[in-house]
Amino acid sequence: MKKIIYLLALILPTQILADWEVNMPRGVTPTSEIAYDIHMLMFWITVVIGILVFGVMVYSIIYHRKSVGYQPAKFHESTRVEIVWTVIPFLILVVCAIPATKALIMMEDTSDAGITLKVTGYQWMWEYEYLEDGVNFFSKIDNKSNNARRLNSGKDVNDVEHYLRNVDNEVVLPTDTKVRLLLTASDVIHAWWVPELGGKKDAIPGYVNEMWINIKEPGVYRGACAELCGKDHGFMPIVVRAVPKLEYDKWVSLRKDNRVAESQNIGR
Amino acid sequence: MSNYKKTYITVSFIVVFMFFFSYMLVPLYDIFCEITGLNGKTNQERIVNLDEKPTNRFVTIKFTSTVAGAGPFDFEPLEREMVVEVGKVYTTSYILTNQSNSLKQVTASPSVVPGAEAEYFKKIECFCFTQQEINGLETKELPLQFIIDDKLSSDTKTLILSYTMFNTTDQLGVK
Amino acid sequence: MSTNVQDIHEDHHHAPSGLMRWITTTNHKDIGSLYLWFSLLMFFIGGFMALIIRAELFEPGLQLVIPGFFNQMTTMHALIMIFGAVMPAFVGLANWQIPIMIGAPDMALPRLNNWSFWILPFAFTMLLSTLFFDSGGPAAGWTLYPPLSLQGGNSMPFVILSIHLLGISSILGAINVIATILNMRAPGMTLMKMPIFIWTWLITAFLLIAAMPVLAGAITMLLTDRFFGTSFFTASGGGDPVMFQHIFWFFGHPEVYILILPAFGIVSTIIPAFSRKKLFGYDSMVYATASIALLSFIVWAHHMFTVGMPLAGEIFFMLTTMLIAVPTGVKVFNWVATMWRGSMTFETPMLFALAFIILFTIGGFSGLMLAMTPADFQYHDTYFVVAHFHYVLVPGAVFAIIAAVYYWLPKWTGKMYSESLGKLHFWLTTVFVNVTFFPMHFVGLAGMPRRIPDYPVQFADFNAIASVGAFGFGLSQLLFVYILYNTLKKDVTAEDKVWDGAEGLEWTLSSPPPYHSFEKAPRVE
Repeated sequence: MKKIIYLLALILPTQILADWEVNMPRGVTPTSEIAYDIHMLMFWITVVIGILVFGVMVYSIIYHRKSVGYQPAKFHESTRVEIVWTVIPFLILVVCAIPATKALIMMEDTSDAGITLKVTGYQWMWEYEYLEDGVNFFSKIDNKSNNARRLNSGKDVNDVEHYLRNVDNEVVLPTDTKVRLLLTASDVIHAWWVPELGGKKDAIPGYVNEMWINIKEPGVYRGACAELCGKDHGFMPIVVRAVPKLEYDKWVSLRKDNRVAESQNIGR
Repeated sequence: MSNYKKTYITVSFIVVFMFFFSYMLVPLYDIFCEITGLNGKTNQERIVNLDEKPTNRFVTIKFTSTVAGAGPFDFEPLEREMVVEVGKVYTTSYILTNQSNSLKQVTASPSVVPGAEAEYFKKIECFCFTQQEINGLETKELPLQFIIDDKLSSDTKTLILSYTMFNTTDQLGVK
Repeated sequence: MSTNVQDIHEDHHHAPSGLMRWITTTNHKDIGSLYLWFSLLMFFIGGFMALIIRAELFEPGLQLVIPGFFNQMTTMHALIMIFGAVMPAFVGLANWQIPIMIGAPDMALPRLNNWSFWILPFAFTMLLSTLFFDSGGPAAGWTLYPPLSLQGGNSMPFVILSIHLLGISSILGAINVIATILNMRAPGMTLMKMPIFIWTWLITAFLLIAAMPVLAGAITMLLTDRFFGTSFFTASGGGDPVMFQHIFWFFGHPEVYILILPAFGIVSTIIPAFSRKKLFGYDSMVYATASIALLSFIVWAHHMFTVGMPLAGEIFFMLTTMLIAVPTGVKVFNWVATMWRGSMTFETPMLFALAFIILFTIGGFSGLMLAMTPADFQYHDTYFVVAHFHYVLVPGAVFAIIAAVYYWLPKWTGKMYSESLGKLHFWLTTVFVNVTFFPMHFVGLAGMPRRIPDYPVQFADFNAIASVGAFGFGLSQLLFVYILYNTLKKDVTAEDKVWDGAEGLEWTLSSPPPYHSFEKAPRVE
């Protein structure tokens, strides 16, 4: 039955999660984890509602058909039933709203951040500035991807490592530290998004937005601009390398030493 | 026929009203922003009736800057960070360098984080109040005088002030 | 569809013939047919653009188009499909059906009706012509967010002017619908006895007159920002780009319901007809539709959770958005209750209506997930959103329109379409629509942003599947055109009451109906 296939399609995502990347990553920050939890909560609620509603529908389609000689009933209203299926969904929604509201309060609390990273969107690259340490640099798509992505480049993009997901200068951040991100843009609206680090936020020219992340596990996390920002919107990846605090401090001092040279090399 | 007329008049009225309503949304939005601190909009008016009320409460102010578009400017805060007492007047400045050879008009747009506290960052004197002019290759110090209102929520330990410098040379409609 | 209808009646209505007949027509059926044919044409133009998009996205790397052109395609595809395909199709259905469903001879404002249609070809010619400009067509997305849209080339004023024209056309159409429904109902047809399709269209018309002027205001501000020195949306002049998004979505969310409420009306008409049972909970259907319409004005910011709203705003818009699930749920439950213990048959319109219920509900489920702000920070601007709104618009709005055409085509033309071809069309369409849009959920969740011309290789498999589905879907619609052609060249054979379970005044008329639908108003008990 076709309808059963739909139901399977709904359940499928979690079953083949491992090899096919069909679900939201759980991520490595408190914000990404709570987004994932709420996502899965809502997913399962909709699956259950879907099975109930479509189940009744399928039953009706199989048994209440003219071709099996079923005679139509006459009823066409019932205030009691209507009240029931207005109130029950409402209660389900209240149940969903509570954890979501709690999550939001947690997500919006940027106080007590350890370091502040200012992210500025440009057409089409990012600038990062570590406010406390005075380190800043631009980060744009790496040359390999950038050459391969041209129309008729003659290169097989499957051979490019991290195609469209690699940059020339990675952002380095310490693990287990609350990092406050300030987001703004120089020209048009961009959005900074690394799925495994939680949600995204718009970078708006003239205004500053903020969000926070606290990376629990060292690693390399990749993302991209998520707000249409012109022709090369698809080509401004983000790479965050999370390292333990000590290593981060070393990186900062190295960066400070090379600052003059760096700014000459990387400047627009 | 009067029923039809009533319908047409009512409906046309709604259409015209909604068109103007879209324009009414502009001031409404500003009021909304001021109340909620949406986008960290700060009030752009000079504070005139000023009374200093030192509170012995200290907050950190971080200063940052952005140059909009391909503006030929170098634009940096003089101090990256200040620890200030709530209720006292402080002065700092931003340094603007025009890297081109020609006279430029510029406008700075302020934004404060966290947005909800933006209204307590009060500016007494600010280069962002008006359009500025800067000669080719000139470096200018742009002064800023501010006070943190004692209504600032006690949870707030850090405020971040950001300026975006727009090149508004020959641009229409900039105050 | 009505070319033949016309032939039959032409002799005793001294209308001009040939092209002039269509240009000067004030007849609701002629104008309805014009709208529907126009919508079909736009559906194919917009669909062609979608296929360019899907062809480019078939595999990673750029093979066919440059990114700038890709953005023009996504922008145009949306504008054409929303303003050119779905809305005119609904207006066409309104023109055909409202008079014959409420027992009126014609629409209240026939000349205005002619105008509101003939604005459309000019508006779309202008809109499409921008693609041939040196600087290209609009490329900032159909939402026209500044500052990006202010960067656009010379096309911008033309695009804005054409959207203004489309807005005027919709508003005039809506005024006509309201005037007709409120004043021209047959004696005895009180508001609460109106067919449900008429109710949904009345509410839609009010949404149109309330929402379209707001869009007009927003794009006028864009225009003056660009050319006349205002700075509503530029930070350098004290404006705020985010304000555009607020104003736009204040229009935009009611617009979403403009695209779906008439579809609810169609499904609520077809399900009872083929279940041979009255619509369950007529009153609650009307109230649910009205509350969805009212709620649509206070949920707009859920389209922009990531712009950085105050916490209270995020919570408010999350809760109001979730609230919409309640009346929408009531509708779905009522449809299922209508089928329950009915005596169902599964002709093509019924098949499309059933697929509508299931697939629209899946789109509703993803909508509910998107309403949850903390998760939306992840979903926002990804293919998950693309999957969501295509599920509610394609197997939602478009399926309802196709269902309506199959349902009323025999009435309009007096000719019966081929049921076996119709069923084939249904199965092809339904299979391919899912092959196209279901994988988009996966790539979206896995991290693929929307509106990108190229993507990392990890998204390749599902994108290839979606592209295959899209071409299958597109080709299946050629079958629809063949079915229409095949039907129109037949002789008039359909009965007056085509479907044995159908109710309503339109079935008391001959098939095809007379030129002036109800010369004498029928009495409704």
